[in-house]
Amino acid sequence: MDVRIIHFYPDLMSLYGSYANVLALKRYLERLDCDVTVESVLPGGGTDIAKGDFFCMGAGTERAARAAMEDFARYAQPLKAAAGDCAAMLFAGTAMDLIGKTVKEADGSAYEGLGLASFTTEHGKRRIVGDVYGHTDLYPEAVVGFMNKCGVVTGVETPLLTGLDLGFGNGKERGPEGFHWKNVFASQLTGPLLVKNPKLLETVAAAIYARRGKPLPVDRPLDRWAEQAYAVTEEQLRLRAQAK
Amino acid sequence: MRKLFAIIVCKLGHFVGKLVGKGSSMPGKFALKICPDILRRVELPRHIIAVTGSNGKTSTVEMIAAVLRADGKTVVYNEEGSNQIEGVTTLVLTHATLGGAVRADVLLIESDERYAARTFQFFHPTEFVITNLYRDQLTRNGHPEWVYDAILPALHPETKLILNADDPLSSCFARGREAVKWFGLDKCSISADAPTGAYHDGAYCPVCHAPMEYDYVHYNHIGAFRCTKCGHKKPAADYAVTAVDLEKAVVTIDGGVEIALAFRSIYNIYNILAAYSACRECGVSGDTAAAVLGNYLLKNGRMQTFRLGARHGTLLTSKHENSIAYDTNLRYIAASKRDCVVLVIVDAVSRKYFTSETSWLWDIDFDQLNVPHVKRVVLAGRYGNDLAERFSYTALENWSVETDIAAAAAALKSAGDEELYVVTCFSDRDKILSRVEKEG
Ligand SMILES: [Zn+2]
Repeated sequence: MDVRIIHFYPDLMSLYGSYANVLALKRYLERLDCDVTVESVLPGGGTDIAKGDFFCMGAGTERAARAAMEDFARYAQPLKAAAGDCAAMLFAGTAMDLIGKTVKEADGSAYEGLGLASFTTEHGKRRIVGDVYGHTDLYPEAVVGFMNKCGVVTGVETPLLTGLDLGFGNGKERGPEGFHWKNVFASQLTGPLLVKNPKLLETVAAAIYARRGKPLPVDRPLDRWAEQAYAVTEEQLRLRAQAK
Repeated sequence: MRKLFAIIVCKLGHFVGKLVGKGSSMPGKFALKICPDILRRVELPRHIIAVTGSNGKTSTVEMIAAVLRADGKTVVYNEEGSNQIEGVTTLVLTHATLGGAVRADVLLIESDERYAARTFQFFHPTEFVITNLYRDQLTRNGHPEWVYDAILPALHPETKLILNADDPLSSCFARGREAVKWFGLDKCSISADAPTGAYHDGAYCPVCHAPMEYDYVHYNHIGAFRCTKCGHKKPAADYAVTAVDLEKAVVTIDGGVEIALAFRSIYNIYNILAAYSACRECGVSGDTAAAVLGNYLLKNGRMQTFRLGARHGTLLTSKHENSIAYDTNLRYIAASKRDCVVLVIVDAVSRKYFTSETSWLWDIDFDQLNVPHVKRVVLAGRYGNDLAERFSYTALENWSVETDIAAAAAALKSAGDEELYVVTCFSDRDKILSRVEKEG
């Protein structure tokens, strides 16, 4: 199977090791014998959304996110159409802000997001930083991650993480986190979310297969290091959540 | 009256603190409670030099103090490293008379980047050195632009800025200001043609977000940048390193002043240059500065070397969560020529608890170790699996994992005689140093 990953603004939106999500997905699919092409979209460049199987963007600074949005806006119609047609997407960190309706900045100014979802993000002057341990309806295992943001999100009706035992969610401590609709996965959790959560990586890969009308092969690669790292992190964060 | 009381309390607190070996910020904290604007009410030296930035603050401050003292000036500075307002208050008041006068020629302050605005709300530096601004301890600092925004209000209009001409972000502090002096490195033997590293924060202009171009760089994106749209570019340096000879360990400043390097790292070169520039701006001659800075050995600068079985070892410490510091140490190993083994230890990212924040591992350019003389890499510590996952995406194949540091050390001791480099952070270093025979 040929898979085309479209990575938006890899240098501009590159904080917290976001690029590792692309590496992890590419390798996972290659180990399933897929032929994977990664296309980097730069501001002012262009891409044919109809040809993509997976679309993603990582975390950037607040100013970088706003600059990215100036270019990203032109993909609003085709991306919304692709999302409605069950294309797989991952927006992590500040990239999540951009698929919502509006982003309000700490200085009071505001700009429009993609409008793929109806939520609003409001950036503040305080950073919200810390470990997250939560749950998703997609699979039984816990989701682990790290939050480093200054935005509060309101208006999400279908979160990716339905509840947190540890950490700050979209709008409050231990509240729901992220956004999930069809095969659109979005989370303000920073960094290599798919590396830290092997099960989420599998879920995203399954979504790409599903859109092609295929189930994920039964014989799947096991990434020993990622699994062991997840086991250590999951245990430690669970213990911390329980101690609270 | 409150002022006198605050000064006495601070002096007493500092005295008691020294007896019991307690930190240097508590007395200042008490003084600020008694008299919140005490720093406005004291009489400060004519020269107040502040130093901040992501890397090199402590080293730069130490070297500035050494040069100024050699030039016959009396210098008061926060050697204890307490760099927020409380520590600065302790520093100022313990060196003040009961009348509140600091009898010194220069007050020299290493300032925390994020809290500089708080420290300098009551007085302002005459010279402000900003060494650089890039990814560093992002759990604390958010990201470099966040830190930029925090420093900006600390820069008083009357303060002269001494800035790094090669850093696209911190050079923006000069915008709209007249009193700015620049230090930078010309193209020289250690320059590369294009930015290096696992990520590229210098890809876009920090002013207008248009793509940037580079004539050369010295490390990562630090070098001769040029925005393709708005004119933001490396300014001409007032103080420039014009030649670097790493073989002989000598740099040349402004084409004439030669300074021998005690440590051959690009960091050390920038720190020396920043210190040199600040001292020249305070009226010190180039020769006096060069005489002190030549072969200057920092208090914490001596590289720890040791023996482990038949191996000779060198400890290369970095701050955790500071990828550029790691990159610099990896570059040092790559530039060495003898066969070696590298032990990377990440055991505690946070001193308080286990954290899932390992994203900084992805910012480190471990591929620098992909050179023939690095025979093997051992990944150790509690985050050994995370390190292994990171390494599985590099071109390196000769690595293995031993999460138990004691076992990793024992295995390295029992076999092999290649040079050993240990790459780790300050808080994890004793976990290996306690298992080796230290030298020197
Ligand atoms: Zn520009």
